[in-house]
Order: sequence, then C-alpha cells, then structure tokens
Amino acid sequence: MSKIDENEILNRLNNLSQVEPTKETTDHAMQRVRDTLMNNEGRRVGLAPPSLMSGLMKLAAAAVLMVGAGFIGGRLSAPEPVNMQELQAALESSLKSSLEPAIRRQLHDEFESRLQLALAAERNMLKQELAQQVHRDMETYAGQTLTTVGDLMDQRLVEFARMIEVARIKERQRVAAAFDYMGSRFGDSLVTLASQRNNLAGAELTGPTPNKSEN
Amino acid sequence: MDKSGADLYALLTRLTLREEVAEELMQELFIKLNKSRGTGNAANLEAYARRAAINLAFDWRRSQKQTTLPLGQVAEPASNDDSPLGKLVHSEEIQQTLDAVGRLKKASREVLVMRYLQQESYDNIAEQLGKTSHQVRALCSRAIRNLRDVLGSNEHKSSKKEIHNV
Repeated sequence: MSKIDENEILNRLNNLSQVEPTKETTDHAMQRVRDTLMNNEGRRVGLAPPSLMSGLMKLAAAAVLMVGAGFIGGRLSAPEPVNMQELQAALESSLKSSLEPAIRRQLHDEFESRLQLALAAERNMLKQELAQQVHRDMETYAGQTLTTVGDLMDQRLVEFARMIEVARIKERQRVAAAFDYMGSRFGDSLVTLASQRNNLAGAELTGPTPNKSEN
Repeated sequence: MDKSGADLYALLTRLTLREEVAEELMQELFIKLNKSRGTGNAANLEAYARRAAINLAFDWRRSQKQTTLPLGQVAEPASNDDSPLGKLVHSEEIQQTLDAVGRLKKASREVLVMRYLQQESYDNIAEQLGKTSHQVRALCSRAIRNLRDVLGSNEHKSSKKEIHNV
C-alpha cells in the first residue's frame, strides 16, 4: 500500500532533528518566559492563596446551601406569600451574620499560621547567618592571634640570642683577663726564681768564711 | 528552566518549524507547568515538561489545520530561506511527516519524537516513560510502521485527488 520506505521516513526525521533555533531567539524566548513567570508570581502574591480561597468557597457554599434549605423549608411551610424585599433583607442579614465571623476567624487563623511560618523561616535564616558570622569572626580572631603570637615569639628569641651572645663575650673577656694575669704572675715568679738562683750561685763561688776558732 | 529551557525551545521549534510559534508555545508551556499541580508530583520534571511540550506542539498543528486561512493571510514563516530551518519549512514532505506523527497514538508519538527528533537513547527514554528498554524499542519500530502507513495512505489519497482533478 505504501510507497514510502522506512529509510525515507528516518531520513526525514533525521533532517528534522538537525533543526536548531539560533542562540538569539533561544535567549529571547527564555527571557520572555522568565519575565512572564516573574509577573505571574508577583500577581499571585497579591491575591489570597488558593488553599484559603478554596476553603472560603467551601464555607460560603455550605452557608448558602443551609440558608437556601431554610428558605425552601420556610417557603413550603409558610401560609402566606413572602414579601421579596423582606426576604432579601433577611437573607442578606442571615448570610452576613453566618458568614462574616467564620470568614474572619478563618482569615485570622490562616494569616496567623502563615505569619508564624514566615517568622520561623526568618528566625532560622537569622540563626544560620549569625552562626556563619560568629564562625567567620572566630576564624579571623584566631588568625590574628596566631600571627601576633608568632611575631612575639620571634622577637623574644632574637632578644634571647642577643643576651646569650653578650654573656659569651663577657665570659671570653674574663677568661682572657685571667690568662693575662696568670701569664704576668708566671713571668714574675720566673724572674724571682732566676735572681734567687743567681744569688745562690754567687754564694757557692765565694766559698765558706774561715772560722777563727779553728786557727 | 535554565537547565532544560533551551532544549524545550529547540524541540518546539522542530515540531512547529516556526520560531515565533515555538516562543509562544514555550510561554504557554511554562505558564501551564507553573499552574499545574501535577508538576510538583511528577517524578521526573524534565520528562514531564517534554511530554507537555510535545502535546502542545501537536495540538497547535491540529488547530492550524482546522483554521484554514485565506491565502493572503497566511503568515510567512519567520526564518531565512537559506537556513536549514527555512529549507525544511518549505518542504512539503517534512510538513506531511510532522502531521502524520501528530496523527499517531500518544505513546508512539512521544517515543518517536524522543528517539528520532531528540536523538535520545533507548535507555534514557525507557527511564523517562517508566518502561523497559525492550518495550521502547518495540514501540519505536511499531511507531515507524504506523507512520509509514499513515504517510502511505496520505500519498494514496493525494494521488487519487490529482487523478480526479485531471
């Protein structure tokens, strides 16, 4: 029946798959979508939330049904035809009295729960931000303290090294003075020893003095 | 949107062959996705968006066929004749093929578009559709067969018309 073979179909589909829109049109389309979505979000924020609307609608429908049922029951049991204006006024007042407090209460509850949720989210966010801030501050403080301690340690070490060097120089000077003193004392002793030896030698050469009693 | 927006726009361009229509459909698609409650429940959001885009594009093609404009009011495709898109737009065969794809069943159409227009792997399609790879292969071959039948019957009808006119 068909004249077209599968290859021809696949070829056509393959040609279609090669179609690519330009980057400009793609960017333009995406930007438009973004703008539209942003507008929609903004509009939605202004309206009551869908859950609230649906709840109110249900409540209103129930109230209308109840009032309607009451009206029909009253109409059937009423002996005389009802004045329409009176009925309208009665309906309005009954609707107002039955719906208004419930709507107010529901709105109040809904807004309160939403407010609580928003506040809880805000509190969590603040807590996280505060924790991050404290963490950052602690890190900065720790870094600064480490740097200061390191600098002080270096300074003290340099001072210590200088004091050791001064002490060593003083010690050397004392030792050198001691050696000088010892050297000078040793020289004096040698001189004294030499002079005494000379005296002794001179006395031996002259010999002993003759004893007058021996003669 | 940043992740798959460009892909969706390219898909819509392939299916409509008109960039300005693709742009409009893209708007519609994201507004629908934004409003739809099913979007939040969908396991694979990207696949959900793609299927919605395919359906939107073929709905547009059907609506175009139903509202036949007078010859003077037919909008010119917004593409250069020298570009690949421009050449394809003017190709009657390609338009016929797309129309025939639109007449297939939903599952066949989706599989065909994902496999042959988006060039996705069988495994990837299977994952998106919640089927096995073998089922997807079978669906693809059945879809091609159906497409061939639809295109064949179209040609048969058009040739009959030509003979009748002569």
